[in-house]
Amino acid sequence: MSDCHDGCNGSRREFLSGTLKLAGGAVVTVIGASALASSSSGPTSAPIPGGGEYDWNEHLWAYLVDTTKCIGCGSCARACKAENAVPDGFFRTWIERYAVGTDDSHVDSPNGGMDGFPPVQVGFVANKSFFVPKICNHCRATPCTQVCPVGASYRTKDGAVLVDADSCIGCGYCVQACPYGSRFIHPATHTASKCTWCYHRITKGLKPACVTVCPTQARQFGDLKKDGDPVRAVVEHDRVQILQGHLLTEPQCYYTHLDKEVR
Amino acid sequence: MPEITGFSFPNDIHVTWSLMIVMYPYITGFVAGSFIVTSLYHLFDRQEFKPVARLAMATSFAFLLVASLPLQLHLGQPQRGPFVIITPNFTSAMAGFGILYSFYMLVLVLELWFVWRQEIIDRARRSRGMKRAFYAALALGTYDTSPEAIEIDHKAIKILAGIGLPAACMLHGYVGFIFGAIKANPWWSTPLMPVIFLLSAAVSGIALLILLYQVYAKLDRRPVVSTCVSALASWLWFFLILTITLEELELIVMAYEKSESWLIISELLTTRLSFSYVTMQMIIGGLIPLILLAVVVLMNRYLHEKVRNTLATVAAFLTLIQVFSMRWNIVIGGQLLSKSLRGLRSPYEPEMFGREGVLMAIALFVAPFVILWVFDRVLGIEEPEGSGGHGNPPAAPAEASAASHVP
Amino acid sequence: MEHGKHVFRIVILVAVILVVVILGRGLLIPKTYGLYGRYRAANVAEQMNARPVLHAGAAACAECHSELAAKRTAGGHRNVSCEICHAPLGAHVLADGSVVKPPIDRSFTLCARCHRKMAARPARFPQVDLDQHVNGPVEGKVCLQCHDPHSPKP
Repeated sequence: MSDCHDGCNGSRREFLSGTLKLAGGAVVTVIGASALASSSSGPTSAPIPGGGEYDWNEHLWAYLVDTTKCIGCGSCARACKAENAVPDGFFRTWIERYAVGTDDSHVDSPNGGMDGFPPVQVGFVANKSFFVPKICNHCRATPCTQVCPVGASYRTKDGAVLVDADSCIGCGYCVQACPYGSRFIHPATHTASKCTWCYHRITKGLKPACVTVCPTQARQFGDLKKDGDPVRAVVEHDRVQILQGHLLTEPQCYYTHLDKEVR
Repeated sequence: MPEITGFSFPNDIHVTWSLMIVMYPYITGFVAGSFIVTSLYHLFDRQEFKPVARLAMATSFAFLLVASLPLQLHLGQPQRGPFVIITPNFTSAMAGFGILYSFYMLVLVLELWFVWRQEIIDRARRSRGMKRAFYAALALGTYDTSPEAIEIDHKAIKILAGIGLPAACMLHGYVGFIFGAIKANPWWSTPLMPVIFLLSAAVSGIALLILLYQVYAKLDRRPVVSTCVSALASWLWFFLILTITLEELELIVMAYEKSESWLIISELLTTRLSFSYVTMQMIIGGLIPLILLAVVVLMNRYLHEKVRNTLATVAAFLTLIQVFSMRWNIVIGGQLLSKSLRGLRSPYEPEMFGREGVLMAIALFVAPFVILWVFDRVLGIEEPEGSGGHGNPPAAPAEASAASHVP
Repeated sequence: MEHGKHVFRIVILVAVILVVVILGRGLLIPKTYGLYGRYRAANVAEQMNARPVLHAGAAACAECHSELAAKRTAGGHRNVSCEICHAPLGAHVLADGSVVKPPIDRSFTLCARCHRKMAARPARFPQVDLDQHVNGPVEGKVCLQCHDPHSPKP
């Protein structure tokens, strides 16, 4: 069932749900079945019901972060907040600052890095220091959609992990299941909320807001199905890293020059 | 705003699963635990549990009616709760719980009906008017109490108990699975979790029955049968030993492996959870009842009945605290540590009033006892005194069951 | 099974309840649920139109402000999005086409966010030690008095 993501049995599903509605699944006749099957033209004409021109079969989005380029200005987090009306105290994206010494390390992210970073004094000799931007990893084997009891959270065919706020019951299980702390319960809607890769933008040919405003190209966004895409080139040919690889969530947010201290 | 020691992911500072999610496994535990006790009699013929068998089944039912409420109360959109059944996503442990819960409810209600069928019919015969209509409806309109029908009832009870016991174990093992299968959280993610939950469910169920039995016997002016109390106490001791051993083993393995999360978990246990884990779960709720129960079991012969009752009751009360602390430490403790494994947030204090508050939790805990009281009023938990007390061989059901086991 | 009447009745009752539940469930399943997987397929389009695009990117700004845009493209801030200092385009050109003056951030804080000297920033990135800048400490002063944000020079 799980590998049937690309509508291979869309018409069968339609048929099944139709019969369930009509007859409790058991007593429909063969004639009824064939009539239903032939009447459902399938979702070939409009790939997303009500989605217009955009064909999600033609894209596979991926995110790329070069940690050596991040200057910790927080423009991304501010743009994200404005673009997506993210409530105060909750974060769809944030920036972490690391200071790493031989035996000790220090991490902070004041207000998610939204207001930039004040100078910091650490109580040890920091040999290196750097910023790491974080967003939802839009995992391919996502633990968050796995645990959603009602199918309110799902991964689209073009690779974005989304939450249907009209179906979400607000149980918070997905918040617990995300190893990256990318999800939260929205204080106003009481449903799960998270980074959508600005799905309202990427389906119109734009980049996510955080990528659009990043002044150093530390954050990049690309299409793994597009020839000549720079992000695709890096993901396919360079040495890329992911966060918490041991959990086998197959993140689609890739990193270059990640430090061992980053989790 | 909670205070953070170290570094937490910025979204990780909220305790999303509140006191209600502590109450949920606590209450579900009583469902499974008391069903285990009733099965010891109905399925495994341990006659010493006869005095509490019906009480245990009614208790399981009373708690089951309440078990899904804390979940409902916790939901951000409670009115969408039924979607767990309407559009279940079967890869989710929580959706599976909806199905298991309904299934167990069905089995338990059926078993209750067969066990109490005679009572229902008796009451239908005795009463008139609306009352009679009510009992007649409950009896589904057939008043067949012939020995043959009773024999059929006993077969049905056996079969249902046979299905019910694994269902009850699954139900609560599953609650442990909800936590144990979260690989993101090192304090939860262990295959031991369902086992620990199941064993501690047995602990809480037996402990509650020791208490309930004392109270019920007083209220109903029945003598407390000492073989029953000592049997309950020894089973409680057994399950408590297993539970605490596994709870400790989990930690010891983690510490010995020096797993990446041990550093933060040891800090969690010694700072944020030092009271609720070390003091409550391990010493007051663990060590002390272990000693008390050891006395009850090992020195059973020498104990005066009153001493035995008192020791068992105190131990039972303390283990109820142990189990609650364990639920608290798992559910809340797991949310105090950030998945960054670098930060702990300040202790969580539940609100007093409101949907997920302390008062609601108390109400949820009291509700099953109210249901039990109503149950006693409507159907009578124990068989009526006239049909044979505990001393004499009781009327038809026990005789029939006894007969069926004599070859 | 002469005496099994009550068993028969309760089995029928359970069967009826099950059928009612299954039928009722069928009626309540949202329309596009299950079209592509265990979710409501209609939500994908809802997400596409969930909110207006606020950050339009520098190219959109250049459509009207070509002169400043060209200056920016030629200078050191060529990669700095207009919308970082000038607020998102969505706050400037509204959805109905009307134009309002956007809030412009000229503050010291904004400049310091990127250029305050900090160990965590890449070494090659231009940073200012605010305590020893030209004639002494400049913390809190208006950087724009000396620097042109559209084509800054060190």
